[in-house]
This record gives sequence, C-alpha cells and structure tokens, in this order.
Amino acid sequence: MSTVTPDPLAPAPIDRQGIRFGDVLFKGVALVAAIGVAAVLGSIAYKVFALAWPAIQEFGLSFIWTQGWNPNANVYGALVFIYGTVVTSVIALLLATPLSIAIALFLTEIAPGRVAAPIATMVELLAAIPSVVLGLWGILVFGPCVASHLEPFLNTWFGFLPIFSGDPSQAGVLPAALVLTIMIIPITSAICRELFSRVPRDLSDGSLALGSTRWEAIRRVAIPYAAPGISAAVLLGLGRAFGEAIAVTQVIGAGNTINQSLFPPGDTLGSRIASSYIGASSAIEAQSLLYLGAILLVISLVTNVSAQLIVNRFQKARRVSAG
Amino acid sequence: MKRALGLMVIVASLVAVAVVVGAATAAPAKNQDTSMTGAGSTFVFPLVSKWIPALGAAYGYNVSYSPIGSGGGIAAITAKTVDFGATDAPLSQDQFAACKGCVEVPWALSATAVMYNLPGLKCVLRLNGKLLADIYLGNITTWNDPRIVQNNGTCGLLDLKITPVYRSDNSGTTYNFTDYLASVSPTWKSKLGVGVNAQWPAGLGAKGSSGISGVLSKTPGAIGYADVAYALKNKIRFASMQNASGKYATPGLRGIQAAAATLPNKITSDGALSIVNPAKGNPLAYPISTFTYVVVSSGSSKAAELRKMVFWAVTQGQSYGKPLLFQPLPKQVQAFAYKQIKKI
Amino acid sequence: MSVAEIRDQYDITAGSSNLRRRRRTEKAVSAVAILSALFAVMLLALVLGTVLFKGISQIDMDFFTKPAALFGEKGGIADALIGSALIVAMATILAVPIAILVAIYIAEYAGPKAASFFRVMLDVLNGVPAIIVGIFIYGMLVVGHGQSSVYGAMALAILMIPMVARATQEILELVPRHLREASLALGMPRWRTVYSIVLPTAIGGILTGVVIAVARVAGETAPLLFTSSITQNQISFDVHNALPTLPIRIFTLSESPSPDDQAAAWAAALVLIAFVLVMNIVAKTIAGRKRKSLEGG
Repeated sequence: MSTVTPDPLAPAPIDRQGIRFGDVLFKGVALVAAIGVAAVLGSIAYKVFALAWPAIQEFGLSFIWTQGWNPNANVYGALVFIYGTVVTSVIALLLATPLSIAIALFLTEIAPGRVAAPIATMVELLAAIPSVVLGLWGILVFGPCVASHLEPFLNTWFGFLPIFSGDPSQAGVLPAALVLTIMIIPITSAICRELFSRVPRDLSDGSLALGSTRWEAIRRVAIPYAAPGISAAVLLGLGRAFGEAIAVTQVIGAGNTINQSLFPPGDTLGSRIASSYIGASSAIEAQSLLYLGAILLVISLVTNVSAQLIVNRFQKARRVSAG
Repeated sequence: MKRALGLMVIVASLVAVAVVVGAATAAPAKNQDTSMTGAGSTFVFPLVSKWIPALGAAYGYNVSYSPIGSGGGIAAITAKTVDFGATDAPLSQDQFAACKGCVEVPWALSATAVMYNLPGLKCVLRLNGKLLADIYLGNITTWNDPRIVQNNGTCGLLDLKITPVYRSDNSGTTYNFTDYLASVSPTWKSKLGVGVNAQWPAGLGAKGSSGISGVLSKTPGAIGYADVAYALKNKIRFASMQNASGKYATPGLRGIQAAAATLPNKITSDGALSIVNPAKGNPLAYPISTFTYVVVSSGSSKAAELRKMVFWAVTQGQSYGKPLLFQPLPKQVQAFAYKQIKKI
Repeated sequence: MSVAEIRDQYDITAGSSNLRRRRRTEKAVSAVAILSALFAVMLLALVLGTVLFKGISQIDMDFFTKPAALFGEKGGIADALIGSALIVAMATILAVPIAILVAIYIAEYAGPKAASFFRVMLDVLNGVPAIIVGIFIYGMLVVGHGQSSVYGAMALAILMIPMVARATQEILELVPRHLREASLALGMPRWRTVYSIVLPTAIGGILTGVVIAVARVAGETAPLLFTSSITQNQISFDVHNALPTLPIRIFTLSESPSPDDQAAAWAAALVLIAFVLVMNIVAKTIAGRKRKSLEGG
C-alpha cells in the first residue's frame, strides 16, 4: 500500500514478503509448541497404559474388583486401593466443602476489605505448603495426636458407628483423609470465593429489598447461582485428592485390607505406587502397579474433564441468558 | 536498544534449552573412574556406612550408597542405574535372567532382631516362631494373651494392644523374616509365603528399616523387625527367640556365629546360604540370621574397581562389623565369595 | 441508616418471632463463617508454627554447608539445596519458553475451536497427578539410561507448563485490544506486535505465573522419586547424575526414628517452606504492582 505523501512518522516500509515470513514463522513455532504439549499429554496416557498392558492382558477388568495383593502368590487386585482412594477423598471432600463455602462466604460477604485480603492470602498459603511437609507434620505431630486424642474421643462417643470402631492407630485412613482435607480447602475455597464475588449485585440486592436476611439472600440467590461452579470446585478438589500420593503414603500405614473402621491402616492407588514401584521385584508386579497407575489416571481425568464440562455448560447458559 | 536486548534474551533462552536438551540426550559423561554408586538393602546400610570412608582412605574410591530397600537395589542394578546393588534376599532365577550377567556375592552376615516397645517390661521378652507368626497373622492381639504370658510370666505384661509393624517397601529383611515364619508356621507358608513383601493381614507398614524403628519408638505395644544394628542404634529392645533346640537365643555375635556354623564346609551355589531356623542340635543359634549380598554386573567398565571393592569388603571390611553385630564371614563363605568375585 | 434499620422502621412484623428466628439464623451462619475462616488460619499457623519451632534450632552454618550424613551421624542439606536449585532452574528454563509460546498461540493466533481445544488440553494436563508424570519420565527415559537430574527437571517442567501457560494466556487476554489494533494499523507485522507490544505489557502477569509455578514445583516429591532419588549424598554440580533434593531429603528423613534425623527433617522443611512463602509473596507483589499499572495505563 503506498501513501500519497510520505508520512515522516510511519515506520520504514516493510516488504510484504517479510511480513508473511515472520508471521508464518512465529505462528508456526507457537503452533509446534502447542501441539508438542498436547503430544506430551497424549504420550503420558499412552505410556502408562503401554507399560501396564501385560498386566491388563493378564488380569483383565476383574483386576478392579479383586481384593488381594500378594506378590508371593502372583495375586494382584486393585480393590483395596480403589476403596482407600475413594474413602479418603470422599471424606476429605465432605469435610472440606462446607468449610470452603463458609470461608468463601466470610471473605466475600462478611469480612471488610482490609480483613478479607490478608485472610484470603493466608488461606491460599495453605495450598503452598508442599505435600511432603504436610506429610512430615502428619507423621510426627498430627498422626500421634489423632491416635491419642481424636480417635479415642470418636470411639467413646460414636463407637457404635462401624467407622469409628476399633483401636486407635497413628497411621490409618482417618489421618490420611484429614491431611487431604487440609490440602483441598484452599482450592475449593478459592474457587467458591471467585464464584460468590461474581454473583450479580442486583440479584442479591433485589432479594434484600424484598426483606430477606443476608443469609437468606445467600442461600436463595448466591448459592443456587453459583451451584454449578461449586460442583466444579468440588470435582477439582476431588481430583486433587485422588492424585495426592506423597502425603498420603506418609500417614496411611500401607495396609492391605478393607476395613469398616477408619482407624486401621489402608492404602490408596497413588500411595501404593509411591511406596512399591521403585522396588518392584518382578516384572508382573511392576506392571500391576502401573495398572493401578492407569486406573488412577482414568479417574483423575474423568473428574477433571467433568469439572471442565460443568464450567463450560455453566458459562454457555450464562451467556445465553445474559445475551 | 530494546530490540537488541530482547533478541539477546531469546537467543540466550534458546541456547539454554539446547544445552539442557543436549545434556539429556548426550551419552552421560560418567564421573571419575573411582566413583561408584550403589543402592539397596537397608539391612546392610550401617556396615556400608562404615566401609565408605575406609574405602576412600584405602583406595581413593568415592562410594555412595542409597538405602532404598533390597527390592529397589535389585531393580536398580537390573536397570543398570547403579554400579552395585545390595540385597538380603538372594536373586531368584527370573531375577538373574532379567539382570543380564549379574554376579551375586555374599558380603556380610547378621541377624534380624525382633524389636518391641513395651515400656516398663521387667525382663527381656521371650518369643518363639509360632507366637511370632500368630502375632503377625493377627491371631494374637494383646500382650497379656496367655500364650505370650506362658513364656514371660514374671515380666509384667499389660493388657496392651499388639501393633505388628512390617516393611511397606520390598525388603530383604522381610524376605528373611517371612522365610523364618514360613519355616515355623505352616499357616504362614500356605497363606502368605516367603518374599520381599507379603499381604500382611494385620498391623501397619513403614518404609525402610529406619521407618520400622521410627514407628516402633512412637507406638507403645508395637512389635517389628529390622537388622539388629538399628535396634542398637535407636536403643530399642529386642526379643530372645526360641530356636529349634528349645533354647532362647539373642541376635548377638555368638548367636549369629552358631547359626552360620550350620553351613556345609563347601558352598557351591547361593541357595545353600540360607541359615534360617537351624535344625536341632545348635543350642546357641539365633534362628533369624541371614547373609546379605552385593550384586554386580559382570563386564562393566568399572569391573576392576568393583572387584577390588568387594574383595576388600569380604576381607578387611569384616573387621568393621563387630560393633554393629555383623559377624565376620565364615571361611567357606569367604572362599565362595572369592570364587564369585572372579566372575566380575 | 442501614437497609436493615430502614426495613425495621416500616416493617409491621418487626419484633415477630419469625423475624427473630431468621435474625438468629443469620447470626449463627455468620458465626459459622467466621469460625471457619479462623479455623483455616489456625491450621496454617499450626503447621507453619510447628515447622518453625521444631526446625529453627537445627539451623546453623553447618546445616547449610555440609552434605548429608551417613548412618548415625549429623549432617546438613548443602547437597540437597544445590540439587534442588539446579533441577528447579533447569525445569524453569525448559518450561517457560514453551509455555509462553503455547499461550501466545491460544491467545493470538488460534481460531475459537483450536483455542478451546488447547485450553482444555492445558487444563487436563494440569490435572494429571504428579506421580503419573514421574512414572511417565521413568518409563521413557530412566529405564535403560539410569536416573538423572535432567530427567527430574523434565518431569517438573511438564508440571510447570500448564500453570505458566494458563497464567500467560489469561494475562495476554487482558492486554487491551486497542494496543494490538494500533500496532497493526501502523503496519507492524503480527509477530512484531506480539513480541514488542503485547508481551512486554503482559510481562508482569507472566512473571507472576512463573514465580508461582516455581514455588509449587520446588516442593514436588513424587516426580523426583522416580528420576532423582538414588544419589551420591555429597555436594555435586554434575547434572548428568541424580542429585539429592530438598523434598526427597525431607521424605527420607521423615520416617527415621533418630531425633537427629527428625530435627534435620524439620529444619529442611523450614528452609523449603521459607522459599515457597517468599516466592508467593514476590508473586503477589509483582501482581499487585502490574495490576495497578494496567489499570492506570
């Protein structure tokens, strides 16, 4: 494009060819990076399944509901670990979600700005604690405390419930679930806080104008509005809990059985891989451990993708109704 | 000016990426020849720790060792991640096949102590194999069970829950322990078998010999097993085990020596080195003694140094063992070791 | 007067038991919310306080300059500090350029479908458990070649990429459109626009994302367990070999019965947490300052 009078401020004219080449190169490199990362994701999924394949072929799907894990007899089954993973994560979720919603409410509705900011930072810092440090604290401080105070208390007052029956133990499903709770709280509360702060002011103001108390406005307006987001937050927290291996393996006690009570040791998918994979003494043991890894990968992906889908549908619905 | 700076940043990061990727894919430049890495058994770690500075002083060797458990040691030497692996569980046929060209040499001898945490116990606990198996099977759950009190009447055993502690990682000490339990309890043999790990029906697991010692020292009523050096170091008390002759033996040098004395005069293969639960007629023998092995890849680039190191270990190295309750290798085992070393 | 007070003035049912009950519920819920927040803060204080209290006594010059000890002796974390620093540095060098490029593609070049695909891909990658990433690198590289801190850095880089890419992508989308349009209208090619105009504006947010990712990855144990755990416990800068790291050191020491080892574990945890906290504060400061400049600009 030539100008009629040369503009002294315009940049030196660039050859059209030059523009295309630079742009193509830059875009190409960026695209290669993006495809490369996608390829890494694909390879991870592929490699885990490929390494586990001999065990998958050998045991088939019944591996998932087989309860034994006895390397000496070549008996391998995932049920104990799936149970442990699900129980610890679900308990963590049941404890963390109401807490997180309450914390989010505090930060968005109750606390004045000057108080909210530092407290929000402190809740975020909970997420910054490395899991190995939480595990260290769990082994040396929290586990013994649970065994000498919490579990006897639960046993005395609620011992009729099978989950609180039996003898206290320093390492077990309960301390592991509680440590996971500490890890999930910052994630779910941060998302809930985002959600509550985005509830349109006019909706809650309208409710207040009609005579509701602040809590009723929250209960009837904010929470239903944010409900899909909250469920996505719950799923993301669940995904985090599923994948945590290090802190769990430090406090769960490497048990081999499924117990009704939460006190005795158990094990989860990630935790068993962390404790046994490096020393696996036979090929089939290593492959079975990777089969556990494949199961873990699948449930992690399913939870995460579900959270994504909920968020997407939620956003689409919002856009449709707002637009 | 800004453009030049930006360009430099880009070039610098590209160069950095290239360097890192190049470092990764280039043949790993092995450090100086006198440097050797090993990994494996936590059982032998106390003794190896004493050997490392001595080897440095004697030959200038820079040896390092990671106690990750016998299972890890076997896996590491099979994957050639280390120069030598240490295991208390002898390699099986399958493992020898997988670890192409590996040579196994016995290099130390000690015992697995049965440790317990019973504060205020007035005497040394006396146990036999059957009781131990029942405890770990979950059939005996309290310390004042009549079956235990029968042998420990005056000790003051309380109504305290027994927490059996086992190794959660694949361990040669577990192999030794289960080997013993299988030889004294047919139930154990059929249900759980012998191996570097087991489907432990009761109790809780800890990683490494230090892990077991850790849990034990924090849990009253716990019972666990580890190399006797860990019991000594952490001042944890250990039990006297009744051997096949009916006598109670402790994992001291005498008991270990007596167990090793049951070996034939000539060793021909690794399988002959099991000294667990020696037969009647050896009143002093401690029934849970074991040899521990170093596994080396034959024909590696460091073969000469490895030969020297292992030879030193089975000769001069043995003198470091006594304070840690590692009994020097008997003559016939040493002779066998020499033969194996030649194959490296 | 507040809304509530105005309402009360005109509310003929003021003082009725229904309203009182609703007010009480309101107060109860407020109390619960306040207590929950306090509980979370108390948890943080508990963990950090324990680490500080138990770790501080061990911290001295020796601790920082000596390598790990053998059986039965006291040692320091010098070797682990160096190993961690090298591995995290390598991971950052690997991850940041790639992550920025991916974010640029999503934010600047991709069509809506491609952008959505890659965005989902990044989020999925973010959700892959760290232990699976460790196993992946182990299966691909460690088997047959041995452990190496470079492999550890690669595993950590895979964990960092989604974090940095997402932060970069979000900040790129925040850069005002008129900057790009003005630049393009002046005849600058697209790539020059991104490179000279958009990126420098976004650099604060990108830096924040990088610092947060570094803080997160410095404490990761699981990937290193498979790639850099069998180490010479001596001070070494040789990245070809597996180097000791702080998280692995803490993990190993945490199970030991010896009070010396446990004290060393607390002290190492203190050092690690201090680093992570400082990084988080740095990130917040950069974010705060950059937000002010973006809003003011």
